[in-house]
Amino acid sequence: MSKDVIILAIESSCDETSMAIVKNGHDILSLTISSQIKTHANFGGVVPEIASRMHTENITFVLEETLKKFKGTIADIDAIAVTYAPGLLGSLLVGIECAKALSLVYNKPLIAVNHTMGHIYANNIENKITYPTLALVVSGGHTDLLILKSENEMQLLGSSIDDSIGEVYDKVARVLGMTYPGGPNIEKAAVKGEDTYKLPKPMQDDSYNFSFSGLKSYIVNLVHNEKQRGNEIRKDDLAKSFQIAAVDEIVRKVTLAIKNTGIKHFVLAGGVSANKYLREELSKVCNQNNVKFHVPNILYCTDNAAMIGCAAYPLYKEKKFADFSLNAKSSENIKLYIEKNK
Amino acid sequence: MNTLLIDTHADFIFLAIYQNQEIKYKKESKEKKDHSTICMPLLIELLSESKLNINQIDDIIVVNGPGSFTGVRIGVTIAKIIAYTMNIPIRTITSLELYLNELTKDYQYIALEEKNGFYVGNLINNQIKNYEYIKRNEWEKWNKNKKIFLCQNINYNNICSFAKQKKPINPHLVNPFYVKKIEAEK
Repeated sequence: MSKDVIILAIESSCDETSMAIVKNGHDILSLTISSQIKTHANFGGVVPEIASRMHTENITFVLEETLKKFKGTIADIDAIAVTYAPGLLGSLLVGIECAKALSLVYNKPLIAVNHTMGHIYANNIENKITYPTLALVVSGGHTDLLILKSENEMQLLGSSIDDSIGEVYDKVARVLGMTYPGGPNIEKAAVKGEDTYKLPKPMQDDSYNFSFSGLKSYIVNLVHNEKQRGNEIRKDDLAKSFQIAAVDEIVRKVTLAIKNTGIKHFVLAGGVSANKYLREELSKVCNQNNVKFHVPNILYCTDNAAMIGCAAYPLYKEKKFADFSLNAKSSENIKLYIEKNK
Repeated sequence: MNTLLIDTHADFIFLAIYQNQEIKYKKESKEKKDHSTICMPLLIELLSESKLNINQIDDIIVVNGPGSFTGVRIGVTIAKIIAYTMNIPIRTITSLELYLNELTKDYQYIALEEKNGFYVGNLINNQIKNYEYIKRNEWEKWNKNKKIFLCQNINYNNICSFAKQKKPINPHLVNPFYVKKIEAEK
């Protein structure tokens, strides 16, 4: 039997400072998540400079907590992994420089992990990804549909050509006067509402790409115009109609991919996968087509370092190590990422 | 005794190892690249030229600002992680304190110029108190009738002995000293 691989992983791409120790790409030995969400809620969204400052203040505390929960010693750790893209530059940099310093002091190789890959590999925590599988990443920065052919090989089918699904949820929530973070509040309102608003269907094509900006603008204008006319907005109803329009579009593209590829497994990943309606609708369409539906526990859907440790494992096995000139990237085209790692 | 100095507060990076409070090895970068791509590789070069392993560093001095927010965060993060993991003393000095050696006669204030204004400190008994930030458009009005020392050249030679007069800080509590508030907080 080969030796266990234990990775210390760091995630600081947005407003969570998180570290984890992960064995063999799926076994969480220790996990700490320090969320700044309450601070940012006061400003109606994540303020990048505040996020960077809080990461710097939190980083050694999170490290201490993570090492305390770990039963082993530093000698048992094989590598240090860190998110380098995509995310807020200043925030990413705190995690990156921390990882480099740990790599130097502990004399362990450094692994650079793409945050989106982390969301996908979070699916290995409670189950094991079966290849090939279709994967949908939905988050504040992403709406990507991919085929995972094997542990190291993937193909991008389509992405959002404008706003990500998470951004649109937050924007619509803001327009409706709901507090940050918008997604969960839209969902709560939608449960109480009726689908009475007629909204445009996002993209009427057969590509695997998504587009949500038209739907977003329509709602922004609708609310604005109704206000000017002195008409009341039925917030719960609009939340419901919006959610149906947005999720329908995602479900339609996923169904298309299921039918065209014949792949029998589907994984959902990213922060927006915490959305119950999206989960239910995707699970339904998977069942109808005899496709096995997988989604991580909600804890591993939102930003956390455990998923970064999972995604670092295949990179460790291929000895894809980063050097100390590693820099943060605010965005990384997933297509280029796939090319680069072929 | 090997003391590591990390200074990333400006558009250059300066790293040094002091032995007996004197600079023994130093590395400087004035490259117009991101600090994140330069700082750690420069530290590796410094260690290798001085034939020291990181574990032979006995204590750390880090310049914690004010200056470039991102620059300071990079230096401070590296410094506090090394100090925390190796359990060695860490001390901070401010960017304005770097210039105290050059102070010649009686001044009331010390000022460090940056892109949009000045970081200033009140000089009391050769110590800097009450830091504040003065925007460029308010500078002329502010500096009237004040004896102000304008920071220009840093002499790193005496920095180690200066910093050693201070007490070490718990690495958890070593943080950047921004002085400037950010837009959202105003």
